[in-house]
Amino acid sequence: MLHYLLIKKLKIGITLLLLFCAGVAWAQSNVKGTVTGSDDKLPVIGASVKIKGTSVGVVTDLNGGFTLSAKPADVLVVTYIGYQPYEVAVSSQTNLNIILTKTSTALSEVVVTGYTSQRKQDITGSVAVVNVTSLKSVPSGSTESLLQGQAAGVSVVNSGNPGGGSQINIRGISTISNSSPLVLIDGVPGNLHDINVNDIESMQVLKDAGSASIYGVRGSNGVVIVTTKKGKKGKVNITYDGYYGTQVPLADGFKLAGTQTYMEAIFQMQKNSGINPSSQQFGTGTFTIPDYILPAGAKEGAPNTDPSTYNLNSNQIMRANKVGTDWFHEIFKTAPIQSHNITASGGAEKSNFLFSLNYFDQQGTLINTYLKRYSLRANSDLKIGHVRIGENAYAFFKDNPIVGNQNEGNAIAYSYREPGIIPVYDIMGNFAGSKAPGLGNSQNPVANQMRSKDNQGYNWQMNGNAFAEVDFAKYFVARTSIGGNVDNYYYYYFSPTAYENAEGNTSPNSFTEVSGFRYSRTWTNTLTFNRKFDKHDVKVLVGTENIKNYARGQFGTRGNYTLSTDPDYVNLNTGSPSTATNGVQQLYSNTLNSYFARVDYTFNDKYLLSGTLRRDGSSFFAPDKRWGTFPSVTAGWRISKESFLKNVTWIDDLKLRGGYGVLGSLSGVSNQANNAFSLFAASPSNSYYDIKGTGNSTVLGTYKSQLGNLSTTWESDGIANLGFDATLFNNKLDVSFEVYKKSITGLLFRQNNLAASGGAAAPYVNGGNIENRGIDFSTTYHGSVNNDFKFDIGLNLSTYSNKVVSLPSGLKYQDFNSSGSTRIGSFVRLQQGQPVGAFFGYKVAGLFRDAADVSSSPTQSAAAPGRFKYEDVNGDGVITDADRTFFGNPNPKFTGGFNLNASYKQFDFNAFLYGSYGNKVINYVKYWTNFPQVFGGNVSADIISNSWSPTNLDAKIPKLETSANFSNTGVFNSFYMEDGSYLRLKSLTLGYTVPANRLKKYGINKIRVYVLATNLFTITKYSGLDPELQNSNLNDNTSFGIDFGNYPANQKNYNIGVNVTF
Amino acid sequence: MNYKINNMKRSIKFTALMGIALLSVLSCKKSYLDQKPLGVLSADVLANEQGVQSLLVGAYSLLDGYGGNSGGTRSPASNWVIGSMAAGDAYKGSSPSDGAADVQPIQVFNLTPSNTAASAKYLLMYDAVQRCNDVLRTLALAKDISADKTKQIMAEARFLRGFYYFELKKIYNKVPYIDETVTDFNQPNDKDIWPNIEADFKFAADNLPAVQIDRGRANSWAAMAYLAKAYLYQKKYTDAKPLFTNLIANGVTAGGQKYALIPFQQNFSPQATQKNGAESIFAAQASVNDGSVASNGNRPDNLNFPYNGGPGGCCGYFPPSQTIANSFKTDANGLPLFDSFNTGNDVSDPAKPYTGTLDPRIDLTMARPNIPYLDWGTPSPAWVRDPTNGRFLPRKNVYSLSEKGVNTSTESGYWGATSITSNNVNLLRFGDLLLMAAEVEMEAGSPELALDYVNRVRTRAADPTGWVYKGSTYDATKSKYNVQTTPADNYLIKPYPTGSFADKAYALKAIHFERKIELAEEGHRYFDLARWDNGTGSMANEINAFLLYDVKVNSTLSGGRFVKGTHEHMPIPQSQIDLSASQGNGVLKQNPGY
Repeated sequence: MLHYLLIKKLKIGITLLLLFCAGVAWAQSNVKGTVTGSDDKLPVIGASVKIKGTSVGVVTDLNGGFTLSAKPADVLVVTYIGYQPYEVAVSSQTNLNIILTKTSTALSEVVVTGYTSQRKQDITGSVAVVNVTSLKSVPSGSTESLLQGQAAGVSVVNSGNPGGGSQINIRGISTISNSSPLVLIDGVPGNLHDINVNDIESMQVLKDAGSASIYGVRGSNGVVIVTTKKGKKGKVNITYDGYYGTQVPLADGFKLAGTQTYMEAIFQMQKNSGINPSSQQFGTGTFTIPDYILPAGAKEGAPNTDPSTYNLNSNQIMRANKVGTDWFHEIFKTAPIQSHNITASGGAEKSNFLFSLNYFDQQGTLINTYLKRYSLRANSDLKIGHVRIGENAYAFFKDNPIVGNQNEGNAIAYSYREPGIIPVYDIMGNFAGSKAPGLGNSQNPVANQMRSKDNQGYNWQMNGNAFAEVDFAKYFVARTSIGGNVDNYYYYYFSPTAYENAEGNTSPNSFTEVSGFRYSRTWTNTLTFNRKFDKHDVKVLVGTENIKNYARGQFGTRGNYTLSTDPDYVNLNTGSPSTATNGVQQLYSNTLNSYFARVDYTFNDKYLLSGTLRRDGSSFFAPDKRWGTFPSVTAGWRISKESFLKNVTWIDDLKLRGGYGVLGSLSGVSNQANNAFSLFAASPSNSYYDIKGTGNSTVLGTYKSQLGNLSTTWESDGIANLGFDATLFNNKLDVSFEVYKKSITGLLFRQNNLAASGGAAAPYVNGGNIENRGIDFSTTYHGSVNNDFKFDIGLNLSTYSNKVVSLPSGLKYQDFNSSGSTRIGSFVRLQQGQPVGAFFGYKVAGLFRDAADVSSSPTQSAAAPGRFKYEDVNGDGVITDADRTFFGNPNPKFTGGFNLNASYKQFDFNAFLYGSYGNKVINYVKYWTNFPQVFGGNVSADIISNSWSPTNLDAKIPKLETSANFSNTGVFNSFYMEDGSYLRLKSLTLGYTVPANRLKKYGINKIRVYVLATNLFTITKYSGLDPELQNSNLNDNTSFGIDFGNYPANQKNYNIGVNVTF
Repeated sequence: MNYKINNMKRSIKFTALMGIALLSVLSCKKSYLDQKPLGVLSADVLANEQGVQSLLVGAYSLLDGYGGNSGGTRSPASNWVIGSMAAGDAYKGSSPSDGAADVQPIQVFNLTPSNTAASAKYLLMYDAVQRCNDVLRTLALAKDISADKTKQIMAEARFLRGFYYFELKKIYNKVPYIDETVTDFNQPNDKDIWPNIEADFKFAADNLPAVQIDRGRANSWAAMAYLAKAYLYQKKYTDAKPLFTNLIANGVTAGGQKYALIPFQQNFSPQATQKNGAESIFAAQASVNDGSVASNGNRPDNLNFPYNGGPGGCCGYFPPSQTIANSFKTDANGLPLFDSFNTGNDVSDPAKPYTGTLDPRIDLTMARPNIPYLDWGTPSPAWVRDPTNGRFLPRKNVYSLSEKGVNTSTESGYWGATSITSNNVNLLRFGDLLLMAAEVEMEAGSPELALDYVNRVRTRAADPTGWVYKGSTYDATKSKYNVQTTPADNYLIKPYPTGSFADKAYALKAIHFERKIELAEEGHRYFDLARWDNGTGSMANEINAFLLYDVKVNSTLSGGRFVKGTHEHMPIPQSQIDLSASQGNGVLKQNPGY
């Protein structure tokens, strides 16, 4: 019904519009023309075409066309909002093809900021306006990943995992927990992750307190404001955007040894350790590659190698792969990516609508990883007198099985751990693996991925809002909006008995099914007063906001599926009942209640002053620590409006601005919602006990699960920001420069309690301060060689330094483990004076050259030639715990994005580069591939030639040997550290737009076709797959820049795409 | 015009509506921000009998070494890391790099105060202590519990607290004492906590019933046994003697069975019908398939199984050492070779095997090549994970094939389900008690009684029905071999001859050695060596001899050295010293030498 009405209204609107246009264009004509936009190559409807110096003119029609009578000597002036005025002499032309160039500095462009919108020129806070066209230059299913390199001060770390998240930090590391910015989609807290990028009209990043503190407690990590597209007044517009492409796995992989080198490394390792080399596979004394690895070390014709004796459990037969299996390319395959998007939109006087449909399908290069998403958006507005009502609704369904990234136990890691002598399949086509003894404990990564193909991960979500707005009493607007998110997730996975592996090859299979839902509800009410009088412009906003987040989820597991493991059979009923377990997946409820106000005052368009105040109350804290107040004040001075700059022609606009404000954050406590209370819990694993001695049942037990802290409150984040925006040289150059200091105080920190206080989870307390200082710089140059050849060059650079100012009272340091692996302890230490994430351990001075070197060096346990020589940092002549030191900073010195857009006639070109400089990374993969004693897994290809021996004293890799000790693999040290700087051509696009006049007869307004390639090159010294390294746990910012075998983000991708507008 | 008015009316109505909405938000109830904690309990819910009992069960639940703060493979009830491995009973095992950062340094005493395997037990034991304290604190608030019940709950909680502090005492020596009255947890470790431990055990012994409703609970006899053990550790032999005498004469298990030696193997059976038998004075109860995702079996020992298809299927930790295997050699009289067990050929050396006689307990203690391994057949070479693991595999914690899936976990969702068993960890068994009593008798009583106690243990071992046999099936329900014709090896064991304990030095040597082989792999040796050392350096000598001897089998022992005066105890965790310092006065002090 609603739709019917809308369409009806639309029809009326279009008819009116047509009549209007016809009315204007009645004059007799001898000059015709069409006006198109340089940016989208679409007809410009409603552009004004006037004869210069007269009031004679027309407005372009629905096809961008116009007709008017003019003399050859006349000059036509074409203007349209958002485009640069264009003048053309009529002369003898009768059919003009006019292309309007998008206004370079849309200073009067209105951008949406905190609860309001502002003209760009009036903004006094730090707001980065993201170029949505550039944003779309990289094909991805995760919209947050596209922010990389698009705005100064916004750092994004991606992976190649389809549907995987990204690590986003705005202006340095501002918290040790989740640093994701607050994302508001049409004013409602949401998630960038699954939003359809084609729906985005505009995107702003609020970086400083001046702009973000209106979001109070949630603004500390920065705020991303997304406004989705709306229908525009005019005829119904239908566009199709689609691309199809292919992603190519990295050519080199981990550069691992083949079978021969692997065997030599094992031989060398034992020989160097003074052992007569012996291996269940390769023999004793001298090594040869066997024909079979199961039966171990068997030659052709040996007992139990006859296929007729084959039995999967008792006599599995595996041949040796004498060359070596290339596990990396067994699991990484070329994979397609595609996206299809249709948008229909339109509008009339009093209503508009937009409707879009998207199908996105990215198969990951890692086999059986993928993201398939179907999404739908319907936005509409309706005007009834002074009242406007509308809704924004977005719903999607996705199928995206979860693949853990950055963990030494996933398929990617097994591809560098599984020795190449193991084939993918045994002689009967079942999986082969480390069950063949003496070949380590890794798993067959192909098996792992193939077995996951029936696992599913579904998710459907809806988000959006409905709002109503009313103008009254001339200066007032009241608005109410109720919106939110409903998220339903559901996934299951089956873990078969991995019969081919060394470990757990007799473990029962199992099946787990998980489901749950989350919702968040936001109710916002605002009242705006806006009045201009004389030279004053005053805008006042007051509002309230009310948020509730709630989630429940559960899981169930069964095992021992013996009759069948067919996915159609396996469910929570068909497994063995005695293996049934179930539990809570997710359970929380929290609320936020807020009041806020904002005042913007402009005098004479020259002096700008703005202030915000927010008061937030959160259920996370004790009643008297619940409320926090977050003020900000900013000011701007448009110097270019001053008389003394009036005559400086090369300055078009220059604004100085600065501000200070306070933001808050509670992301640190988000896992401990009732931080104020001491609580008890009952847990089968943690407190139940078989006190009756039955052997198969337990009695309920309880334990203190959490210690409360009544005085914990907000983490607060004071940001001082100073900068300028300039538009120079006749609007050709835009420059924006900002310096900031961000002081995070009262960092929410889990109190480090003495063990003597017991095992209850310590409360979060406000302790610890972090400081970020940095510079954001961005510039764009708009150039044109002639009317046909135009280009834009954009560059943004960010640099910050990060420092821990203090830790909770008296705490000297805190070590954090990475969830990727804890085998060699923690990699980082948080300590006063050091940056967050600083690598801490023993600093390797080199390898001990010989016995003399050992004896002349400080005493070090397990010191021996060819092992690591650690620096005696405290100079006491003994290497102890106290010699551990900070040896590397994973924070980059600067990061930057470079965008080149050019158009020549119908062609357009885009190149986008992104780089990171000066960050150190840990190549943990070397722990596995440079040390054969580490679980006997595969080794690097260069291990023989590059490892220490009496004849290779300057080797890179320590001596190959059996023992694992303090002086080789036992402790974390600087051996693993490398330079993680890189420069990457993220994307390169070449497009062609078919001239509009050729399409008209088909009823098509525009066709643009393009080819796009991503990651054509990455310049780096890093020896691993990709220096762009995500955290093992995206919600944990304590350690980063560590490579556990990252799903690489630098794979090449070749796409062809088309944009069609009807 | 009319239209406009209508519009205006509408917008007024609308504004009014929104005004109401705004007001309603502004006056939003305070309770909106009072979100109740979900899925957890507040303290007052537990201040009653049922609640306090549940807290008590929670305090028991950490006996198994799993759950809680740092609970896991490094904080086992069995003390396999510090109690056995560090004393030369076993190697770390697995792949050399596995546990290279934490367990391996303990094996070779290249041990820093930051070692996380050395600190795990410290962290977990204080968690357990506080659970006991929480029982006592909440008990004081409960109104519905009778005086008798109160006393019993208090006694049980204090027994457990005493037990947990005993663990701390023997591992770390000087530790801070925190009871239910302490609110400042930054307490110094400058005092000897033996008096506190004794007080808890005494209270428990006086107030606990002799027979408990549940077999997993401590009874008065268990408390007395621990009190006696505490006296022994302090060399208070005269205090200990009457207690041991009473225990041996009259002690009963929590289930009411009179203390007795049962067939040796039954002490290591996960079968409900065999565990908690007459020999079990106190044990960490293990259960499987109880809905806990394999968390209540003997989980901290889950790495200590053969590798690749053998029992458990993972991970090859804790293989018995060559030295401990050789210790089972016997002479022509069926007596141990106190000082010369490592001379001559090595037991099970494939090149030059030892062919002499052996104590039959060797094959109940470890799996050896070519010797039947419960009902698993003979161990496959593939079950030895790495050449550095030596020749032997764990056995006392291992289940039989016929029990797989019944007394082992089938609970999915945990990678090592098949290495979780319902095999209790014997914290104190009667065999252990008899040998402790023998020591006490030697020091402050009669050598004849001491000899009798030791020989009771040896006589049980000499009973051929409990041996391992070749060519026979194994009956896990009875923990014995069905056909008992061909012993698996050349077994010979005899009691010590009458009068042989007249020589005190010889007798003590014999008792000490008996503890070594009777309790091998059970987590006691390190603490025994430490208390026998008395500053003589005997512990250092013993362990250094092991490191030097076994390096030929296990190259990862190379460079290991036990330093006298330091390594008799583990270091106080550096993190705790640092934290103590950061909370003001820095009252925690490190043990000497670290």
